[in-house]
Amino acid sequence: MNTQKVISGFFFILAMTINFGFVYGDPANIEYHSVYELFAAIIINLIATVLKLGDKTQLGSVLLATSLVADIQLIASASVWAFAEYVLGGMNLESTVAVISLAGGALLANVVSVTLFIGDTLKSKR
Amino acid sequence: MESNNTIWIIIRRMRIPFLVIIVTFSIAILGLTLIPGMDDQGNPYKMSFFDAFYFVSYMASTIGFGEAPYTFTYPQRLWVSFCIYLTVIGWFYGIGSIVALIQDKRLSREIDIARFRKKIADLNEPFTIILGYNNITHLIIEWLNREGIRVVVADKDAEKIDALDLEGFMPEVPALAADVTHPDTLKMAGIHKRNCQAVVSLFEDDMKNTKIALLCKLLNKRVKLVIKSTTKTQSEHLKNLGVRYIEDPFLFISNRIYLALVAPNLWLLEMWVFGHILKVRHREELPHGKYIICGYGRMGHALERALKKAGMPYTYIDLKSSEYKEAKGSAVFGDAEDYKVLLEAGVKEAVAIIAATKDDLINLTILATAKKLNRDIYTIGRENTLDDLSIFRSARIDRVYILEQILAEFTYLFIARPLAYRFVRLLHTKDEAWGAKVVHQMHEILGDNPLHFELTIDEEHAYALTLELKKGRRITLGDLRRSRADQNQKMPIMFLLYKWHEERRELLPDDSLVLEPGVQLLVAATEESKTDFEYIVNNYYELEYVLTGNG
Repeated sequence: MNTQKVISGFFFILAMTINFGFVYGDPANIEYHSVYELFAAIIINLIATVLKLGDKTQLGSVLLATSLVADIQLIASASVWAFAEYVLGGMNLESTVAVISLAGGALLANVVSVTLFIGDTLKSKR
Repeated sequence: MESNNTIWIIIRRMRIPFLVIIVTFSIAILGLTLIPGMDDQGNPYKMSFFDAFYFVSYMASTIGFGEAPYTFTYPQRLWVSFCIYLTVIGWFYGIGSIVALIQDKRLSREIDIARFRKKIADLNEPFTIILGYNNITHLIIEWLNREGIRVVVADKDAEKIDALDLEGFMPEVPALAADVTHPDTLKMAGIHKRNCQAVVSLFEDDMKNTKIALLCKLLNKRVKLVIKSTTKTQSEHLKNLGVRYIEDPFLFISNRIYLALVAPNLWLLEMWVFGHILKVRHREELPHGKYIICGYGRMGHALERALKKAGMPYTYIDLKSSEYKEAKGSAVFGDAEDYKVLLEAGVKEAVAIIAATKDDLINLTILATAKKLNRDIYTIGRENTLDDLSIFRSARIDRVYILEQILAEFTYLFIARPLAYRFVRLLHTKDEAWGAKVVHQMHEILGDNPLHFELTIDEEHAYALTLELKKGRRITLGDLRRSRADQNQKMPIMFLLYKWHEERRELLPDDSLVLEPGVQLLVAATEESKTDFEYIVNNYYELEYVLTGNG
């Protein structure tokens, strides 16, 4: 058992599952989506990104790229939320859908990342 | 991706600091959003994520704008005071890591390598790679720079590279501290580049030179190699490898002494190519008679061959500098025993003595002692390093052979003046009568101190001439010797060597030789006629006048 692999695998999958947890539910209704979950998704994604840093292999580069995409989408989602709340004076349907669909995009990136990670694990003989 | 090593080192080292900052921030933010506060009307409220993020951002970086959006309650303050320490420690750790990274030796080396690579990549002119930085290569760099040939240096010793940086060569000499026997170093120094012309390796250690020669041959077949070798077997090895140019300083000296004894005019021509005036000074004439060689190492053997070939009688004193120093505990030659040795070798009857040991001080004292015993003896000294130049100068030795300078001179000639180098090589195939004729002719035409330069007939170096030749006009060498003041007069100029690609080479070409684009010429001229000549080959009107008398 490789501790390094356990830790990174844990964070990669956790990043995907939390992201899913936030996106799951009626996309038009913000009450179905917890702000704490979005916060956790951002933090876990950032940690996963840092864990992917410094891997010079081909796969490492692609993993890092997917993680960066997820980060940007999630941060954009949080920014839209904050902007709608404080600048536009409250969430409306449009901003709600934007927040959820941005996070949904991040989920897709995370799915790709986890698929690649599992694929690589299966490929190695040990 | 190799060149991005710098970034990878930074990223790898910053992973943990990044993680620490992310985790401390998220703990602080999460705590603030969970702890109930109170707004200015006394209603309970909870901070939103945005408020918490905003507050933590300026708190952690110790900017501190105060409590926002409302004054904190005590539970909040308790949490914040904990968070201050948590996040500030995180930040400091991150900043500390960056500072440590800047001082990191590996990183600064990677940065040096990246800079060096960039400089090599930007180098568009022809350049020469010189391995090892010392007195010899210092001279070579100076001379090559004067000719506008760029140089790249690699040396294992970082201190030497620092010394080179302080020299402030113009144009800049990119230098790298790295193991020169490693193929990667040679690759980084640009051996694969199209404009890499030559690699120079003049290390003390013959094995090292051979290894470098082999590597260079494998990495780039086209590149010229200047490799030092001090033994015959080594030179043969190198020849088998296909190294075109092997430098054996002892062989150079031996050849020179042979020429000086047998064909002083050829010797004079060779020395003139290296910058001597075209006249033998009285004290430069080697006397004929018995020679004494002190020191019977590589140089002693080379001298022996020269003297034998020239038919001079000689004896040798087998003196090894290291053994001498060990036995006597000093590097000063000249106690009673040494006197006896010299007298036994026949210093009284000898006409010349050559001090050829590896130690400069012993060489100096040998010559001084010999001079005491025989006032008229001709003294020849071997000077091993350029550092001792001033001592040798003031010692009034008749002739000094400076190994380092000879190496530097030949290297320079080979790289920067290929035709002059070829001329010197061809001299050795000629005899004294030929030499006397040439020297006489040069005196008649050019005087005592002519200079020499090389010219390639192409659009860059001889614009007008090349264009005319391309039009199909017939121009001979003789045409170019006419004066631009009066085309019926001859200019003081001589053509020493004519070269057309690799196929045709002529020493002292005839005036009737027809020129073609691509011809290379070695020209001897005076300061003034050199300028005139350059005018004629580059300027249409001057050329037209010289050819036809019109214009």
